[in-house]
Amino acid sequence: MSKSFGGVRAVQNVSIEVPENSIYALIGPNGAGKSTLLNLLSGIYQPDAGSLYLENKPLIGLPAHRRVRLGIARTFQKIRLFKQLTLLENVLAGFHIHQDAPFWKSLFYGDTGRFRDEARELLEFVGLADHAGERAGALPYGQQRMLEIARALATRPRLFMLDEPAAGLNAAEVEFLLKRLEQIGGRGVTVVVVEHNMDLVMNVAQRVFVMDHGEPLFEGTPREVQANPAVIEAYLGGEFQ
Amino acid sequence: MAALPWLITTPYWRGILVLCAMNVLLALSLNLVLGYTGQLNLGQSAFFGIGAYVSTILVKTYGWNFWLASLAAVGAAGLLGLALAAFAVRLRGHYLAIASLGFAVITYQVLINWENVTQGVRGIYGILPPVGSTTALFYLVAGIAVLVYVLLDNLVRSPIGDTLRAIREDEISAASLGINGAIWKAFAFGLGAAIAGLAGCFYPGFVGTLVPDAFNIVESFTMMAMVIVGGMGTMIGPVIGAVVLTFLPELLRGFGELRLMIYGLALMLVVLFMPGGMVQAWNTLRKRLA
Repeated sequence: MSKSFGGVRAVQNVSIEVPENSIYALIGPNGAGKSTLLNLLSGIYQPDAGSLYLENKPLIGLPAHRRVRLGIARTFQKIRLFKQLTLLENVLAGFHIHQDAPFWKSLFYGDTGRFRDEARELLEFVGLADHAGERAGALPYGQQRMLEIARALATRPRLFMLDEPAAGLNAAEVEFLLKRLEQIGGRGVTVVVVEHNMDLVMNVAQRVFVMDHGEPLFEGTPREVQANPAVIEAYLGGEFQ
Repeated sequence: MAALPWLITTPYWRGILVLCAMNVLLALSLNLVLGYTGQLNLGQSAFFGIGAYVSTILVKTYGWNFWLASLAAVGAAGLLGLALAAFAVRLRGHYLAIASLGFAVITYQVLINWENVTQGVRGIYGILPPVGSTTALFYLVAGIAVLVYVLLDNLVRSPIGDTLRAIREDEISAASLGINGAIWKAFAFGLGAAIAGLAGCFYPGFVGTLVPDAFNIVESFTMMAMVIVGGMGTMIGPVIGAVVLTFLPELLRGFGELRLMIYGLALMLVVLFMPGGMVQAWNTLRKRLA
């Protein structure tokens, strides 16, 4: 796919194939086009040229909210929680595509509470069960990140994409995040992580796709990526430890 | 509430009760769009007017039964609300507000100038209320307001309420959860417009005459004041706001025609010092006392 904004070629002829059931990392220096590519995959942008398929289903033209029903979920680089709502309400909102109660039922019976238990389980999964009734806006940053993940998981995705989930997290929180991602992957969900943090990538990803200046640079296992001279140069040698 | 007409015995104040019930309906309708879905709608006065004029014209010019005419008027208001939404849902923030304001202006001008149908500024006279006494009219309108309150309360507690509030909080991440913002905003707009139209059906019979000036743009702001002063985004807030802002200007009538000034002042104070309105003030007070 390709995508330009005015004169800026954010993504240029990038071909990417994400194997099902893998944990796949998308890395690159700042301005490489990683977030743009993620936005193309999730449907926030439509590409100027190219094609996009989920298994055999074409995604071009489908807006973001329609892709969720096909099993695509994502989190954002800048956390976008429903700040005035409680943690539980945030996660409950995530079950939208699974709500099938007829309109009259909502009018006469109100809350059917169908997904409350599952919502609590998701909060439990990210370690936030004790804060279920608190306002999301009051959470510390690291926990907001985990809430966002729990909310996205409510859609029951098959493909879960995270945009720099480790940004702003301390070492313990990154460790926690890593374990969660592994568990999510273990449940048969394909995970795509856009990341700057090399620890996360090397420890958890099975394959890595490297971008630079909007173009593909290299694709391989974490080991191969670490050893690749072009990748090292793109990062100016300083980021791998 | 049922006892109120017995406690309040002068016809004038009974009339204020009817007005209050109508304002409750209007505030509830706007709160659905503004408070729960987060859309700045400045055109609600138009739907109030459409409800009033469509029902009155059907009764007076075409001899329809009041109830059927009201049903049609509610339908007309709802459909026009959907039409405005179809145009406006892709607009954000202040552009949506301007579009809705534009709609209110257009509607107001249509009411004034389409004289063959609406009688324009000359007005329509001799409109009878659907029930005999002011007390009965109060019970009718208040009863409908209670019914609408209960149904809307159920609606906002249901998954639909979660969806609307998600759109209010962050439309982009709502889309990432599969929520089609355009459809749900249109739904809120249409339903809000229909309820405002419903309130409008009882207005002409209550006043006796119908003139376009009752649906001036400024009425959109008075409705907004009721919602915000009471407590936007809660169910009880608009009710409180409507009651307070209906009775307050009447109680201060000794100081002249102060209605709009009171609304403006109340709105300003609330927005500056207590954005959550009287509901927030009440909750804060409860916490302090606990």
